[in-house]
Amino acid sequence: MVRRATAFLIVGALLMALASMVGAQSQFTLPGIPNPKVATFPPEVGKYGGTYVVSSISDPRTFNPIIVQDTASGAVTNVMFDGLVEQDYITGEIEPGLAESWTVSSNGRTWVFTLRQGLVWSDGTPLTVDDVVFSIQAIFTPGVDNSFRSLLTFSGQQVTWRKLDARRIQFTTPTSLCPVGLFLRFIGFPIVPKHKLADVLARSGAEFSRTWGVNVDPKTMVGSGPFLLQSFTPGQRVIMLKNQKYWQVDKRGQRLPYLVRYIIVTVPNQDAARLQFLAKQIDAYGARGREFAELKGLEKQGDFTIYDGPETFTREFIVFNQNPRGVRAPKLSWFSDVKFRIALAHAIDQNTMSRQVLAGRATTSTSDISAGNKLYYDASLQPYPYDLNRAQQLLAEAGYRKGADGFLRDAQGNVVEFTIVTNAGNQDREAYGNIVRQDFVKLGIRATFVTESFPSLVGKLTGTYNWEAIIIGFTGGIEHGTARNLWLTTGDLHMWNPNQTTPATQWEAEVDRVFEQYACEPDQAKRKALMTQFQQVVYRNLPMLYFPYQKTQPALRNTIGNVKLGLQGATGTLGTRYYKGPYRP
Amino acid sequence: MATQDITGRIGRVAARVERVRARTPMQLAWRQLRRHRVALIGGGILIALFAMALFAEFLAPYSLDFTDREKFFHPPTAPRVVDEQGRWQRPFVYGSELVELGLTRYAIIPTQKYPIRFFTAGEPYRFLWLLPTNVHLIGVDAPGRLFLFGSDQYGRDQLSRILFGGRVSLLVGILAVSITIPIGMVYGGIAGYFGGRVDNIMMRMAEVIIAFPGFYLLLTLSAVLPSNVGCTTRFYMIVLILSFIGWAGFSRLIRGFVLSLKQREYVLAAKAMGLDDLRIILRHLLPNTASLVIVVATLAIPGAILGESGLSFLGLGVREPCASWGNLLSAGTNLVNLSRYPWLLIPGGFIILAVIAYNFLGDGLRDAFDPRLRTG
Amino acid sequence: MIRYIARRIMNMIPLLVGVSLVSFLVVQLSPGDFLAEIRLNPVVDAATVDRMRENLGLDKPLYIQYVKWLASILRLDFGYSFAYQVPVWWLINSRLLNTLLLSIVSLVIAWLIAIPIGIHAATRQYSWSDNTLSFVSYIGISTPTFFSGLLLLYVAFVTGWFPIGGMTSLEFDDMSTVGKVLDVARHLVIPASVLAFLTVAGLMRQMRANLLEVLRQDYVKTARAKGLAERVVINRHAVRNAINPLITIFGFELGGLLGGAAILESVVGWPGLGQLILDSVLRKDLYVVMGSLMLGTVTLVVGNLVADVLLAASDPRIRYD
Repeated sequence: MVRRATAFLIVGALLMALASMVGAQSQFTLPGIPNPKVATFPPEVGKYGGTYVVSSISDPRTFNPIIVQDTASGAVTNVMFDGLVEQDYITGEIEPGLAESWTVSSNGRTWVFTLRQGLVWSDGTPLTVDDVVFSIQAIFTPGVDNSFRSLLTFSGQQVTWRKLDARRIQFTTPTSLCPVGLFLRFIGFPIVPKHKLADVLARSGAEFSRTWGVNVDPKTMVGSGPFLLQSFTPGQRVIMLKNQKYWQVDKRGQRLPYLVRYIIVTVPNQDAARLQFLAKQIDAYGARGREFAELKGLEKQGDFTIYDGPETFTREFIVFNQNPRGVRAPKLSWFSDVKFRIALAHAIDQNTMSRQVLAGRATTSTSDISAGNKLYYDASLQPYPYDLNRAQQLLAEAGYRKGADGFLRDAQGNVVEFTIVTNAGNQDREAYGNIVRQDFVKLGIRATFVTESFPSLVGKLTGTYNWEAIIIGFTGGIEHGTARNLWLTTGDLHMWNPNQTTPATQWEAEVDRVFEQYACEPDQAKRKALMTQFQQVVYRNLPMLYFPYQKTQPALRNTIGNVKLGLQGATGTLGTRYYKGPYRP
Repeated sequence: MATQDITGRIGRVAARVERVRARTPMQLAWRQLRRHRVALIGGGILIALFAMALFAEFLAPYSLDFTDREKFFHPPTAPRVVDEQGRWQRPFVYGSELVELGLTRYAIIPTQKYPIRFFTAGEPYRFLWLLPTNVHLIGVDAPGRLFLFGSDQYGRDQLSRILFGGRVSLLVGILAVSITIPIGMVYGGIAGYFGGRVDNIMMRMAEVIIAFPGFYLLLTLSAVLPSNVGCTTRFYMIVLILSFIGWAGFSRLIRGFVLSLKQREYVLAAKAMGLDDLRIILRHLLPNTASLVIVVATLAIPGAILGESGLSFLGLGVREPCASWGNLLSAGTNLVNLSRYPWLLIPGGFIILAVIAYNFLGDGLRDAFDPRLRTG
Repeated sequence: MIRYIARRIMNMIPLLVGVSLVSFLVVQLSPGDFLAEIRLNPVVDAATVDRMRENLGLDKPLYIQYVKWLASILRLDFGYSFAYQVPVWWLINSRLLNTLLLSIVSLVIAWLIAIPIGIHAATRQYSWSDNTLSFVSYIGISTPTFFSGLLLLYVAFVTGWFPIGGMTSLEFDDMSTVGKVLDVARHLVIPASVLAFLTVAGLMRQMRANLLEVLRQDYVKTARAKGLAERVVINRHAVRNAINPLITIFGFELGGLLGGAAILESVVGWPGLGQLILDSVLRKDLYVVMGSLMLGTVTLVVGNLVADVLLAASDPRIRYD
């Protein structure tokens, strides 16, 4: 999911929709930009100056915003390049970005976006519709590997586009299909400068992918976002400088950003990052659950605040293989037996997982959607209580009985045994796996828990299908229905039984229908109803047994201004962030 | 008086010489070793450690996987002899409860006292894999917990896990060394002895093996080897396979040493006497590399113990619920654990103890097998 | 000797081809591929993944991939990294000097410390100081680097004496030349001492044992009997002979200079090759892995060659021809 959260408005969804239809007119102007975007969320008007230093666990892999796949690179390109629209980091709503307004045709298939007037790249070249057209061309050029292309391709058909005039561009989704309900979510791709990159794209897609890599001379780059790349030292740091030509203003009409420098230090070890944060060398730290209470006690001494953040969207779970191409009888029949899975759900001790692994900084899960997703989480579902006696009883009712030797046997007398795998090196998952194993063993299952290297695990999951139970996790976006590759029966990531030609079960067919309707549904309330239906189907059928959703606990130096918690523990935007206290030397 | 004394002494010496003559080299070495105080200490520690590992079921208060989910990251429960009123009692431990989840703080419950019992009934097991019993050396009655070395993340007794983990850690070093060293010695010995073209070809082959990307071999093995075998079996298979490519570096070391040894007088003499090459290598050259070999072996053992935790990173180490010292230690090594649960570092102490013991014994062995140092 | 060296360098070519072929096969035949991460992204569809596979050339038969790579490596072109989309050589080069700096400094420190204390310990076997040194070295060889690294970082945090990881300060670019040198030196203290500690322990044990062995030899007894000063006996006769196995070890260490210490580097944030190689290995960034393997093999061979030459130089009895 594309997440660009550089600025935002506090307005009701209705108000915003209205505004965007008519084209918001701000009360301020900037030289050459009659209608700059007003970043109104943060209540404070900041001071200019200062350096904001954060850490990243790894180096960026590229500075080319089109081909970015990893978070470390995204952390740089997202502040350097903007899209037509952006996502509010607090509400998750889509709001105007480089485009000041848009309209949609009555059939919901044709979208027209109007760019702000007077936008310029950091070198002074005007940013026009030609750049937008160029960017989408780049996305669809063969050899440019990127994840935006799948977002803009609907059932195999690409979106089409047409330049209307210097400031307006029209997109049309395939007319043979239903209208695309989430079109605004998909159109947030980064706009790249045609005048800098046209030559390389003309040569080849591969050439384009290799342009603006980490070996780039920053002077040859231009951007539209609040900060621009100044230097990158491999293994050490990225230094970014304020963009003097940024197109957003604060609520007094002063041009953003406030900060002069933004530095991302590469600190591969989390403990080292924590020490640097406590030593006031870096200004922000994403603490682990088990550190929350301890850091809370150090707040005064370290001049920082640690926030009780919301749950992440990442779900961790155990999934059983129901794929006839992967497992044989009798295992296939156990794993495909919904009674078996529900019985085992009663053996998932989420409370212990939360206490032992996350020091209680977690929320019990009921389904595929995190409690942190305020738009779609169905709070009415109650988690299956951890109760081994109940689990044993349910198993017995389904024909699985514990014999005198202590082993669980199915109706045919086969001992129930399987291997649970997770990727080695992920300590949380290893801990979950161990807790699950102990409980399964208590039920009489001969469960073995092993770890494997990540590539090998993914190879089994998506290639050979040769696995029994896997513990893994997926990140998610706020629009949960975009996880189509996971939930559609035709999906490659429909782990328990991927790439089906016809849905194997009733409930999977129902989920298919929900996801297809969701994709065409422009109305948020109706999408919410669909997602509620989805969560209830999943709750009753449990292809995966979910583990607790981790809470976030961001810690931030008190000298940083304009801080407010948003989705997944985000604490603000770089455009409006400012330095209150004395500047660092 | 004086003459008597002297003759008596001569007689004793003569008798001793007689005895010495009658002994095999092994017996001589053993005699020598017995006089080597440091070696005896080292040997003693090792025997104690091996005995601990062997009788782990009996010595450990709990089984390998015994878990009290309410008592995770529990600090060591100190045995007490004085109660809250200052009265002397037989040794006991207090019950405890978690009072703060965020910092995992436990408070003792003064009303709950559990006397420490010896030869007490606990979880059933088979003594030496044979005799079914449930007698444990030490323990307290449930729901009290005797966590003398504290508990781990899940609420398992660390002392018990260290005792069981010793099985893997003490064996792995010996296993690895007993494969790499003989192969490396013979290979390096032959290359060094013949020199020239033989040496060149053999050493280039060794270089190919050293340059081999072992990591991917491990990845491949992780996919090929069965995963549903016992929790340490797969790990031993890996160690065996790794040892078969691990000898190459060591063979270079031996070869360099033999290159210079072979010009010594006794080798030249042996050659002149017409002894065959193999015999010269095995009987005359390799025994003289003993001190080198012993140092390498004693250095390789901690490497193997710690390397095990590295293999776990690929999912090829011992797996849950089995334990090893390297694994227990690496599970404890992050800042949160170091500062809040320092008892998780205790396995590191056992690794150091084993390394010291092996080295002491190694020193003693070297002296013992050195004919030049042999005294009556 | 020149002929010998030339022959060894010639021998390197088939060796490199052999190692590269074996490595290529082992890397490619091990399960999983570079695209594992992307495959697990629920919004990326299978068609996109297939196209990426094609663009990376991973869909071609193995022998074609290998021959292509071999052809480009002959032109000294290491290819492009999958993950970074920049030339492999650029990636390696950006970290090469950092790794060399750390390994050479720690190597020099280690040898400067280990040899004298090894000699000291051997000449006073089982004395109080020998036992203490031995004990410290046992701790050294039983302590994993990630542990000692973390511990020193914590010490740095508490005392403020050293920077908490990294190689340069944020203000590095604005410093004078002398300031820059001092800055890097301050950052070097922790990683160099961790690595040196580990090496010292092993080397010192080796030196001690070898010297003990030599001191028992007849010619040392002869030298002593001739009335030579003990210092002369030790330094002139014994140490020269005891150093032989250490030369082989020195060769290994030369060969490992570029390998880097991945785990330590990531704990203390040293921007060395080790981290890059480990990351590439884990995510199967094929050409970075191959490039670093080739570099590693060359330095290994050169290190061994240097050791062999030094062996012959230190011990006239050794001849190769």
